[in-house]
Amino acid sequence: MGRLATLVAVLGSVAIPFVVENSYIVNVCIVIFIFVILSVGLDLVLGYCGQYSFAQGAFYGIGAYTAAILYNNFDLSFWVTMPAGILSAGLFGLLLAIPSLRLAGHFLAITTIAFQTIVYLLLTQWTELTGGQYGLPMRPIEPLSLFGFEVLRVEGTTSFYFLAFAAMAVAVLIAQRLAGSRLGAEWKAIHDDELLARAIGLNATRNKIVAFVASAALAGAGGVLIAYYLGSVYPTDFSIWTSATVVAMVVVGGRATIIGPIIGAVIFTAMPEVLRATQDYKLIIYGLLMILAITFLPDGAVGGVRRLIRARS
Amino acid sequence: MYTFEFALQILVNGLITGSIYVLVAMGLTLIFGILGVINFSHGEFYMLGGYLGVVASSAYGVPLLAALPLGMAGVALLGIAAERLVFRPIRDRDVTNSIISSFGLAVVLQNAALLAFGPQPQLIKTSLSSISLSAFGVFVTFQRAAIPIITAILVILFHVVLRYTWTGRCLRAVAQHPTIAQLSGVDVNRVAVATFAMGAALAGGAGLMMASVFMVQPGVGNMITLKAFTVVIMGGMGNVHGAVVAGLLLGVAESFTSGYLTNDFRDIIGFMMVIMVLLFRPSGLFGRAVDRA
Repeated sequence: MGRLATLVAVLGSVAIPFVVENSYIVNVCIVIFIFVILSVGLDLVLGYCGQYSFAQGAFYGIGAYTAAILYNNFDLSFWVTMPAGILSAGLFGLLLAIPSLRLAGHFLAITTIAFQTIVYLLLTQWTELTGGQYGLPMRPIEPLSLFGFEVLRVEGTTSFYFLAFAAMAVAVLIAQRLAGSRLGAEWKAIHDDELLARAIGLNATRNKIVAFVASAALAGAGGVLIAYYLGSVYPTDFSIWTSATVVAMVVVGGRATIIGPIIGAVIFTAMPEVLRATQDYKLIIYGLLMILAITFLPDGAVGGVRRLIRARS
Repeated sequence: MYTFEFALQILVNGLITGSIYVLVAMGLTLIFGILGVINFSHGEFYMLGGYLGVVASSAYGVPLLAALPLGMAGVALLGIAAERLVFRPIRDRDVTNSIISSFGLAVVLQNAALLAFGPQPQLIKTSLSSISLSAFGVFVTFQRAAIPIITAILVILFHVVLRYTWTGRCLRAVAQHPTIAQLSGVDVNRVAVATFAMGAALAGGAGLMMASVFMVQPGVGNMITLKAFTVVIMGGMGNVHGAVVAGLLLGVAESFTSGYLTNDFRDIIGFMMVIMVLLFRPSGLFGRAVDRA
């Protein structure tokens, strides 16, 4: 059933740009794909490994600004800035893993919030490098040429849609592979009881570092994509609000599942668009729905559905 | 620029802003220490305190010093409502829940304020601003000078309540061990209500006083929440007295940074201090147990 659903979802996603006339929906889908990369990435740390991280927005920003700074200062192309963005976000992920080795629970959550805020403030204040509040411009993705042949060209909304979709698919596959591997099982053990996990010989230190780095690297990839998609980068897209929204995606969707964060990303990206009709009340309703979702879905949408199925049978 | 008077003026300015940080952070650290809630809507209590002051002074002509207790009481009621409706239903869950719910609450309150009061910054007009005091070459308007004085009174009051009343004893008991406190007959729900009411009132008072010096606008709570968190970390999470010292320290550090270095670093200095604290003394400058990994 899982495979069939996946197949339907993939075919449906591929068909959207051809079936839907309205390019607005295609654009919303692109943003959803990018947020799926962020939320599935965060789920590795938050859901599987049980480490509270509120810094996904910072890694997202580090990816985006790495791409923008490399382009604006060294005129490098997307095919270089993408791996560079992933790498630099991953390195900062390594940095943030250090406090996670010493702190847990609330204290780790606050530490990651401090990290997120420092990154955001540096983006706004270090004007020579980041352009401050005015941000940095980007150009469209350059065609990829190998040995003088043009291999790939990304031009216009539809082809960007497929690029974002492919990136999301890769991210989801990586996350699924990691979560399903022995490493994923060890993450769950650390989540359930770190002391016990260490006592039976698991290397919690290494496993937590891997979780933070993988999660940050995925966010970095999302950041590079959004920089090229928007055609510019501004610090406001990478504030603590972004981080909190991604955490909400994971928690409301369903922690330690792959489908949960995907559902969460769809809900929280599509909701403001659906609520546009309510105009001035849009964000008030958004905030209320966030509170209600947390209150009534303790194990997320996935947990809620599971409970329903159990109650039926 | 490098005169003694200049340094003194900067110190006084720092103590004034620091007092505001103290009031906001004390409530935040209390809510954290007793209930384990990381309340991201705390800055919204501050913001709404400012607006209650604006309404009281411009619509009803209430003088600033009389508006203060009214504003604090109003925000305390809001804090009680927030505890009852938002935080109580998720009390026994992990911290991600309360953080996200408080974010949702912050979004709601900020946008409600935007609808009700509009985006333009507003000021509490007060006759106190025309009186200025000067000593040792330092000039302060009266309503600025009142901020550290009122803060000191509130801190002492708060200390007395925590230390010498039954409510305070219950609060401290729950902070130490919720289960045993409950077994000894402490009503945890009432403690939660009292905690939120006191925390919100302190933040509301700070916002009200600040709205008479600077202005208040719907987004003003964002930065104040984050700064209060740096104070909470530096003072030791859950440590009320630590928050007092750390708040003043942050205010003075910011003031000296913008006076002698550059205003650009003003907001970042606190977070740099926090990273240092977390790297070398994760339990804060004044210590309190932390959850270790």
